[in-house]
Amino acid sequence: MEKLFLCNVSDIAENEIKKVENSTHGDIAVYNLGGTFYATADLCTHATASLSEGDIEDNLIVCPVHWGTFHIPTGKAEGFPCEIDLRTYPVEVEDGKVYALIEQMVDEGSAIIAKAN
Amino acid sequence: MLHSYDDLKPVTADQYYEVSRFLNYEYRLLDEERFEDWLNLVHEDIHYWMPGIENRRRENLLDQGFYGTDHMAYFDDNLRDLTRRVARFLQPSAWAENPPTRNVHQITNVEVYHGETPDEYVVYSVFQSVRGRGLDEEYVLYGRREDLLVKSSAGFRIKKRLIVIPNASLKFKNINTFL
Amino acid sequence: MSNKIRTIDITDSTASLDQLCDIENGTISGMMFSDEAIYRKELERIFARCWLFVAHESQIPNTGDYITTTMGEDEVIVVRQKSGEVKVFLNACPHRGNKVCFSESGSTRGFICNYHGWSFNLSGNLIGQHESSVYEDSNFDKSRWGLREVAKVDSWKGLVFATFDPESPSLEEYLGPMTWYMDALFDNQEGGTEFVGGCIRSTYECNWKIAAENFVGDALHAGWTHDSGAKAMLGGSVTKISELGESYSVNWNGHGYEFALDTVGNVAALGEKALNKYIYQIKPSAEERLGAFRSNMIASVSSCTIFPNFSFLPGQNTVRVWQPRGPNKIELYTWVLVNKSAPEDIKEKWRKGAMITFSPTGVFEMDDGENWEYSTKTAKGWVTGQQNLFIGLGMDTLKRDTSLPGNVFSGQLNEANGRAFYQYWRDLLEAESWKDVPDRNVGKAEVQ
Repeated sequence: MEKLFLCNVSDIAENEIKKVENSTHGDIAVYNLGGTFYATADLCTHATASLSEGDIEDNLIVCPVHWGTFHIPTGKAEGFPCEIDLRTYPVEVEDGKVYALIEQMVDEGSAIIAKAN
Repeated sequence: MLHSYDDLKPVTADQYYEVSRFLNYEYRLLDEERFEDWLNLVHEDIHYWMPGIENRRRENLLDQGFYGTDHMAYFDDNLRDLTRRVARFLQPSAWAENPPTRNVHQITNVEVYHGETPDEYVVYSVFQSVRGRGLDEEYVLYGRREDLLVKSSAGFRIKKRLIVIPNASLKFKNINTFL
Repeated sequence: MSNKIRTIDITDSTASLDQLCDIENGTISGMMFSDEAIYRKELERIFARCWLFVAHESQIPNTGDYITTTMGEDEVIVVRQKSGEVKVFLNACPHRGNKVCFSESGSTRGFICNYHGWSFNLSGNLIGQHESSVYEDSNFDKSRWGLREVAKVDSWKGLVFATFDPESPSLEEYLGPMTWYMDALFDNQEGGTEFVGGCIRSTYECNWKIAAENFVGDALHAGWTHDSGAKAMLGGSVTKISELGESYSVNWNGHGYEFALDTVGNVAALGEKALNKYIYQIKPSAEERLGAFRSNMIASVSSCTIFPNFSFLPGQNTVRVWQPRGPNKIELYTWVLVNKSAPEDIKEKWRKGAMITFSPTGVFEMDDGENWEYSTKTAKGWVTGQQNLFIGLGMDTLKRDTSLPGNVFSGQLNEANGRAFYQYWRDLLEAESWKDVPDRNVGKAEVQ
């Protein structure tokens, strides 16, 4: 399990979103929903758009480009034109820092090569 | 969209006939330019309202939908206002009224319900007004109406009238009649 | 002596502007109202070059608020930005031209075209499309395909104007000294003005110039055309305008403002004592703000057109644009203006009073409509359209010895402003660029 540092708690005011760049997994959007932190993929599943530039409405994120919505805690696609759910990341807050918990993916090809060597 | 109610109590067939005869008679008066007779059918506390229609998105509607209280209106009259309009029609110097306009008013889709008191009637209807003016002008205007009629020994009086047209932009220059 | 028609030489091609607009000799011809080629030239040389009124600031107070309107025949969106600025865009998607905003007023995050899902933020930038990956694969440069912004937007005392022409003079220069007079309505109280909610639109089968000219300087028609309206609202005829005493016609670059100094002549036509009383109540503070002369104008018998097609009546507080829809058609957009600081019940009385006098049901406006439509319709006749029409009243009424700004003519029963309006119209049609427009102003550009 990888513990990926996202940002400090103090970096995101309530009902705000922060984009955290990440070339491995894709950029991540971090949300402060009434003091509770969530994280989803930043790239909208409908078209090219950065969700961290959108607005939070209740517990939905409104994509700034076509105004489709996702449920922040579950990543579920809610309003048109969103149909494919967002990837979400479990979040842990420790000592004023926000982390995403990422399952280590086994790269089978690399594992075989490593074994052979 | 009008804010109509589905839970009002319909009147009897006889009462319906009385109201519908009154509405037809009212329109016959207007077709004959009998403005003073028409004013006599209007209650002293009349609110005669034909709001301006605003073409707005569903997310941005006004308090009444596509029209709003205290917004621009074609008519937003009490009895004094209506009387002044009639006063103009009766002036020989109302140049736009000579030659006279030829009016045909039509009323349909009439539904009559009891109002809050025994002498009150709520009437929904659809109207059409056709005006032939000059040699070749023809103006057609239609819409929905919501009336509150009050019955007294003198007959029915129009206490409230809301006139809602579908047009956000009139296709002609004036409305020189009542609806 | 009979007045035979001026015969038209059938070997002539279409009459030239010399014949259609001979201001020096005080005549115009109706063909300027009916001719399609002239109209197309007006779209090119007047509506695509001048400053046109698009909105009052009070209609779009908050970020994301918008209204849609037209500049000439071009549809535009007027949007309040986060910065507080106002932007004006063509209401046409740069992809295939589909209209992007279908409502007349509202509040939004941005605009999305219904055709291919091109999404524009409030600043007009293209921020995404449906099936965006396909565009990315073809190296599409989003930054070049935002909503088309007009050349310039500026505002004066709540009135937002826009122009398509980057070479146009500034709004301040364009309005010139007319603003000194416009203050009488738009700045007579602290806090300025606002529009009542909504816009009434109607259609006249008339040429836009006839209506604009009527407001630029035709006090003359009021006592005759509107006798029935006056009798209805006031119970009797109005005082003859010629008996009102001191009055003026002031013009500048086609704009014109005619006025008496009777303080309440126009508002009185609404027949509401409370409104007359309000005017007298604010007059002392208006005088402190504007001086005695202009405090007499705040609701007096008066009218104004800002060239080409923005007009208003102080007193009745009706503000309007004659939107051209062809040589023989206009769409009239009309609003009601009130002082922000006026009490609510006073604003209500103005909302109702302006509509009962100047709207499609207005007891005054109803008689104007006939005059304008039929002045346009007769001009369709090949012979009639080429006759000379008299616009020579008040030649030689220019006041040279005055400290008032603008080109000042004595008397509001005068066609001086109409002549100046048509002269400027002609000058613009004949000018390749703004620097070719002759400066015919003889008065002062500033208050002395």
